[in-house]
Amino acid sequence: MDLSFYTQEVAPAMLRGLWVSIGLILPSAVLGLAIGVLAGTLRVYGRPLWRRAAEIYGLVFRGFPLLIQLYIWYFGLPQLGIYLSPYAAAVLGFALCGGAYHAEYVRGALRSIKQGQLQAARSLGFSRTRAVISILLPQAIRRALPGCGNELIYLIKYSSLAYMVTCIELTGEAKILASMFFKYLEVFFVVGAIYLGLVSLASWGLSRLEDRAGIPGFEYVRR
Amino acid sequence: MPRSIPILRLEDIHKSYAGQPVLRGVSLALYRGDIKVIIGPSGGGKSTLLHCINFLVSFERGRIWLRDNPIDPADKRTLYAYRQKVGMIFQDFNLFDHLTAIDNVQIGLVRVRGIPKREARERAMAELARVGLSDHAFKYPAELSGGQKQRVSIARALAMDPEVMLLDEPTSALDPELIGEVHAVIRNLAAGGMTMALVTHEIGFAAALANEILFMENGLILEQGPPTTILRNAALERTREFCAKIARLHAGGREAP
Repeated sequence: MDLSFYTQEVAPAMLRGLWVSIGLILPSAVLGLAIGVLAGTLRVYGRPLWRRAAEIYGLVFRGFPLLIQLYIWYFGLPQLGIYLSPYAAAVLGFALCGGAYHAEYVRGALRSIKQGQLQAARSLGFSRTRAVISILLPQAIRRALPGCGNELIYLIKYSSLAYMVTCIELTGEAKILASMFFKYLEVFFVVGAIYLGLVSLASWGLSRLEDRAGIPGFEYVRR
Repeated sequence: MPRSIPILRLEDIHKSYAGQPVLRGVSLALYRGDIKVIIGPSGGGKSTLLHCINFLVSFERGRIWLRDNPIDPADKRTLYAYRQKVGMIFQDFNLFDHLTAIDNVQIGLVRVRGIPKREARERAMAELARVGLSDHAFKYPAELSGGQKQRVSIARALAMDPEVMLLDEPTSALDPELIGEVHAVIRNLAAGGMTMALVTHEIGFAAALANEILFMENGLILEQGPPTTILRNAALERTREFCAKIARLHAGGREAP
């Protein structure tokens, strides 16, 4: 086996790709989660117009294939005079698509919390908005955590689509490397293993987070 | 002029759910130190009435005054200030599940009143002590018994310095063993001169506490008067029938004719 191929070619390319991938995943995750919390909350507690808007957002961004969304941001928008870098187009695409899924988890979690707590907060003089933000959301987010975590794990893998809008991350680097050296099997195994590593790391981090967020009455029972 | 102006007054409250009338013109005045107990069958509008007083449900007709200020629910600032003056206790406690007992009491002070955290914490601790829960301050609702939860919710309401307390069947969701501790807290409030409107099925408790009992059915206050009159000598056949039924129930059926 030719080890120097791995040390000379694979390792530097994968490392480059890994950094780009992480650079895509982290902001997309944070932004997507923020959008999801907002949209999910509006779906349940927004005024009718906002509620409707959040509904349409969810429908469209879960309905259009992600790849098509990325194509629209990167290849479509220039027709309107808006030019996004491959990186910006990818992050925008991931965040908006992920947000639509997070919104569903947040919506479900919000609806699972008894209305009585909202009433109690209002009876203390909280406005509805303030009650939702400081009483209901902290609970809803705890309950949405497993679902949202799952979405983050998806994100790690669908970040590979960035390569389709010429943002060369892990998968892009792998594709180039593989075709250059005609070593598809080796390279794709390595890149697959790197994604597996990222996913394992994320799962571990998420379960730590769930444990830390677990308070009496909200704990996740593990068997 | 102690009795001249009621602290809280409502006039001709009408409320319906989906075209079904629940309140059909209810008027009520609470003077300082008044304890009015509302009794009556389920579905009679008792709970809805308390929710209306706090504007937690909207109603079609009627007005509410705090002292001589009419409350307009469209004026949010006034409404939020008014709600702080009117403490509400719910049948199923409605504690904030993600917060410890002390944080439940504290959060309104910090988020609504804008009181600094340290000061709010001291106040919250004092309120918990008042309901006998100093030792449980750092427990979450899931770790408390029903009676303890209801006492936390009373402390939470008291922290906002209410002038009136509305208690909606505060012991109905409790095991019989735990009712006493909540009753004791309410009795203390009464002894401290708190003005209260209390919905309950605990007739004996009501009789000992109330200066007036109101019998409510089908969205109307049918009869009201001092406890002895309402419970022993009511004018209406329907009131007598209801009170007798409840009394028999509480006597475990032994006094049944």
